[in-house]
Amino acid sequence: MSRAPCPSPLLAVVAAALALAVAAPVPAAAQARFRRTPPIPDSFRELKLPEIESFPLPNGLTVAVTRRPGSPLLTLQIVIMAGESDSPPDMPYVASLTARMIGRGTKDLSSDEMERLIESIGGDFSATAFMDYTVLTLHVLAEQLDRALDVLRLMIVGPEFREMDLATARPNLFYDLKARERDPEAMGRRQLEHALFENHPYQTATQGKGRVSYITLRDVRAFFNKFYAPNNAVLVVSGDVDGPIVARKVGRLLGPWIRRDVVKTALPAPPANDKRRVCFVDFPGAEDAVIFVGNLVMAPRSPDYYPFLVLNQVLGGTMNSRLFMNLRETKGVAYTAFSEVAFYRTCGVFWAKARIMPEAIRAAIGEIIREFQAFPSERIEPAEIEEAKSFLIGQLPLRFETLEKYGDQLARVLALGLDASHWGRASDNLMQVNVDEVPGVARKYLAANPVVVIVGKKEWAGEALKDFGAVEMYDSGGVFQTTLRQGVEK
Amino acid sequence: MNKTTTTLLTAVLLLSAWPLAGQTRGPASAAWTFPVEEYRLRNGLRVILSADNSLPLVSVVLAYGAGSVREQPGQAGLAFLMENLMFQGSENVGPLQHVGYIQKTGGIVNAETTPDKSLYYQTLPSNQLALALWLESDRMGSLLLSTRDRERRQDELLEEYRSRLGLEPYLESYALFDTLLYPDFAYGHPLIGSRGNLKALTDADVKSFHAAYYVPNNAVLTIVGDIQVARTKELVARYFDSIPPGEGVIPPPPPQFRQEGEISRLMEDASLPSPGFHLGYRLSPLRPGDMYAMKILQYVLSRGKSSRLYTRIMKKDLTAYNFGAILEERRGVEALKIFALNSTDVMADRCQKAVLSEFDKLKGSLIPLEELERARHLFKTDYIRLLTTNMDRALFLADAAFADIRLDALPAELDKYLRVSPQNLIILANRLFVPANKVILNIRVR
Repeated sequence: MSRAPCPSPLLAVVAAALALAVAAPVPAAAQARFRRTPPIPDSFRELKLPEIESFPLPNGLTVAVTRRPGSPLLTLQIVIMAGESDSPPDMPYVASLTARMIGRGTKDLSSDEMERLIESIGGDFSATAFMDYTVLTLHVLAEQLDRALDVLRLMIVGPEFREMDLATARPNLFYDLKARERDPEAMGRRQLEHALFENHPYQTATQGKGRVSYITLRDVRAFFNKFYAPNNAVLVVSGDVDGPIVARKVGRLLGPWIRRDVVKTALPAPPANDKRRVCFVDFPGAEDAVIFVGNLVMAPRSPDYYPFLVLNQVLGGTMNSRLFMNLRETKGVAYTAFSEVAFYRTCGVFWAKARIMPEAIRAAIGEIIREFQAFPSERIEPAEIEEAKSFLIGQLPLRFETLEKYGDQLARVLALGLDASHWGRASDNLMQVNVDEVPGVARKYLAANPVVVIVGKKEWAGEALKDFGAVEMYDSGGVFQTTLRQGVEK
Repeated sequence: MNKTTTTLLTAVLLLSAWPLAGQTRGPASAAWTFPVEEYRLRNGLRVILSADNSLPLVSVVLAYGAGSVREQPGQAGLAFLMENLMFQGSENVGPLQHVGYIQKTGGIVNAETTPDKSLYYQTLPSNQLALALWLESDRMGSLLLSTRDRERRQDELLEEYRSRLGLEPYLESYALFDTLLYPDFAYGHPLIGSRGNLKALTDADVKSFHAAYYVPNNAVLTIVGDIQVARTKELVARYFDSIPPGEGVIPPPPPQFRQEGEISRLMEDASLPSPGFHLGYRLSPLRPGDMYAMKILQYVLSRGKSSRLYTRIMKKDLTAYNFGAILEERRGVEALKIFALNSTDVMADRCQKAVLSEFDKLKGSLIPLEELERARHLFKTDYIRLLTTNMDRALFLADAAFADIRLDALPAELDKYLRVSPQNLIILANRLFVPANKVILNIRVR
C-alpha cells in the first residue's frame, strides 16, 4: 500500500480563488439548516503529557524517561549540550561533522559493521547538530531495548574516527549544505541570521559551506573530546518502559563513559538590530523574489514568550493572519506572506517572510515594515487574540504525536534550559495571555529597525532597492560581493 | 590473525551474543493495539472508526475511488485537477475556507491523489470532529465548480509542474519509464497528465468525473483518534446520511500486459545533470501471498545501508552516487523499480550490470538466515511506524479498505511478512525476475 504523493494543493495557495463568479453547484441533497454554518465544537479536552522521570548517574549522565504505555517502539536520544555555535569560529560545521562521524565504528568494528549491527535490530540512527545542542537518535522496536543500549554504548564510549569515514562524511555534509543553497527560503533565513548574529558565536552556524572541506580528523576528535562527556549529556528514553529498570541498565552499560571537565561559558544574548540594513542574495534562475524582514527577540524563558507567540500568530501565523490578508488578498503584492519565530538558548529570531513578484519587492518590504510599526498602536480585536490562542493551543498535541517528536521536544526543553513542565503548562500559559499584553510586546520587539533580506536575481536589486540606501550584495553561497548605494555599485 | 579477521570475528561474536530474531519475541500482532469498527451508511458510504484517547486529536480521512486509473485517454491529469478543485468551495464553505477553518483550530489539512484513489485528510483537536465532517460532507454533496476556478487551477498546475521540473530534472524520465513498465494507459500515465491533456480538460470532464466518482458509494470515511464511538456515529449520520448515492461505480479495467522479452530503451536529454537508468520488474503473474515475500525481498535488496544493492553499488563498486528502490502497488499492478544516477556512461553500464547480477544471485542461492533477520527486523520497525499517529492509522485503514483487505484480519498481517522463508524468496525471484517482466530505461546526457 504505497503512496504516490502529489504536490499539495496547499502549496499552491497562490491559487486562492478571490471570487466565486458564477459557479454551478453539483447536484446535492436538499440544504438542511445545520449545514449552513460551522458546527459548535464539543467541550475542549486538555493535553495531558506523561511525567518525566529523571535519574542522575554517578558519571554525570542524566537519564530522562517518559513513558508511553502501549507503544511498540522505543526512541533513545543522547542529547549533547553543544551544538553548531560551539564549532570554532574559523571552522564552522565541525559540530555537524562530528555528529555524522558518530556511529561509524569503534576500535573493533568498522563503519559497515556498525551499520549492519544497527540494522540487525531494525534500528534507524540519525545525528543532528542544532545551534545549541546535538541529538543522536536511535529508533528501535521496544523489544530491542537491551541491544539498542549496547549499540549506543559502542557508539559513544569508544568511537573510532577514521580517515576513510571522514572522506565520505565530509563531502556528504558539503553536498547537503550545497543542496540548501537551491532553496531560496533556506538562503534567506541563513542570511538574516548571519546579519543578526554579527559578532556572536551563533554566527558560526550561518556560514557558507566553504570551510567544510578543510575540517580534519583532528578537529573532529577535538570537538568530541571537548563536549561529548556524560556530564554534558542527557539520555532521553521514550516508550513503554519502566524508568528505574531502564536507568539501571543504562548505568551498567554507559557507566564506563568517563566524566571529564567540560569548559563551556554561558553565551550572552545577542543584541537586537537597530541599523537600517538590507542584504540581497543572488539566486540565479529565480522567478519570484523571497523577502525576509526580521529581528532578534526574547529567549524562550522570558515572560514575554507566550504573548509574543500570540503576536506572531495574529500577525502572520496562517492564511487568516494580517500579513497574508494584507499583502496577498488586499494589496495583491505577494503570493504568500507569513511570520515565524525560532528560539535558541539565548534569544529568539522573528521574521516575516513573503514570496513575491520581482516588481513588488519595494512595495512588499514597505508594507511589511508598516505592519510591524502599526501593530503596537492598531486596535487588536479580542476575537483575533482568542483565535490565535485557540490555534496555538489546538496545535500543541500535534507536537507529541510520535515518540520522535516527543523526544525532540524534551531534548529541546532540556537543551534550552527550560523548565521540564514547559509543555505541560503551555496551554494554561497561552490561555492567560490577554489583549493588553500583546501590544506591549509588540512595542518592545517590533519597534527597532529590522534586517531586510531579499533573495532573487541580482539584476532586480538596483531599481527595486534604490531608495533603501546601502544594499549589501551576496552571492548564492552567502559570500559578500559588493555594496550598492542608490541602486548602483559604489 | 590479521586485523580484518579480528574485526569480523568481533562482529560475529557481538551478533551471536544476542538472540537471533526470527525468533522475534512475542507475536507481531501485539503491535496492533487499537480497536477498529466498520459499517456502511444507507447511501453506501463505508465508515471505519478507531478510538485512541491518548492525545486530544482526531484524524479524518475521506478517500474516494477516484484516482488516475479512472481517467480516459485524453483526460490525463483529471483526477489531480479534481483534487485541487475540491478546495475551491462548496455550497456553505467559501474558496479555500476548508483550509482556513481547519487552520483556525490549530489542525492540519492536505490531500493526495494516487493511481487508485484521491484522499482528503485532516488532523485537528478532537472536540472539533464535527467541523471536519461538516466540511467534508459539504464538498462531497455540494461542490461548486466554476469555469474560472478550473481554468485558474489548470494554469497553476502547469506552472507547478514546470517548477517541479526545475527542481526534479528526472521527473520526465520517471513518467516515460512508467509508460514502458505499465503499457496500459489506465495504469501507466502520469498523475499530473501531460501539458496538452491538462490544458484541454473542460467543465464537462470535471463535472462528470465528480458525479461519477465523488459519491458516497465510492468512498471510505475513516476516523481515528480521541473519539466516543456512539457520538461519532451520530455525527457521521448527521452530515453524510442525506447525501444521495451515485450510480453504480464499476471497477477500473483490469491491466492487460503482453511482453515477449526484455524491453530496453534510451532517453537522451542534454539538460540532465548526469547519466543513470531506471530498471524495473513488473510483478506478473502475482499469486495470493506473493507480496508478503516480495516486500521482504525488497528489504533484502535495498532497505538500509547494509542491503545488497546499497552495499554493492554505493559502497563496494562505487558505481552510483545516488540510488533508490521502491516496491510500487498500483491497485492490480505491482512492480519493483530501481533508479540509479552515475557519474559517467561507463559507470552507468557497470552499475546496471552489478544490479542485474544481484538479481541473479537472488535466483541462484538461498538468502542466509542472518540477512533475512535483518530485513525482517527493519520491515517490522517500518510497518509499526506506519501505524504511529492517528493520521498514519487512518491512511493505513483507508488503503486496506481499497485493497479489499478484511479489517479484522489486519492484526495478523505483520506475521505473514515475518514468516517468509528463504525458500519462498528464491522461488519468487525465479518466477518474477524474468525477461518478460524486465524493463530498462537508460538515461544519457546528450
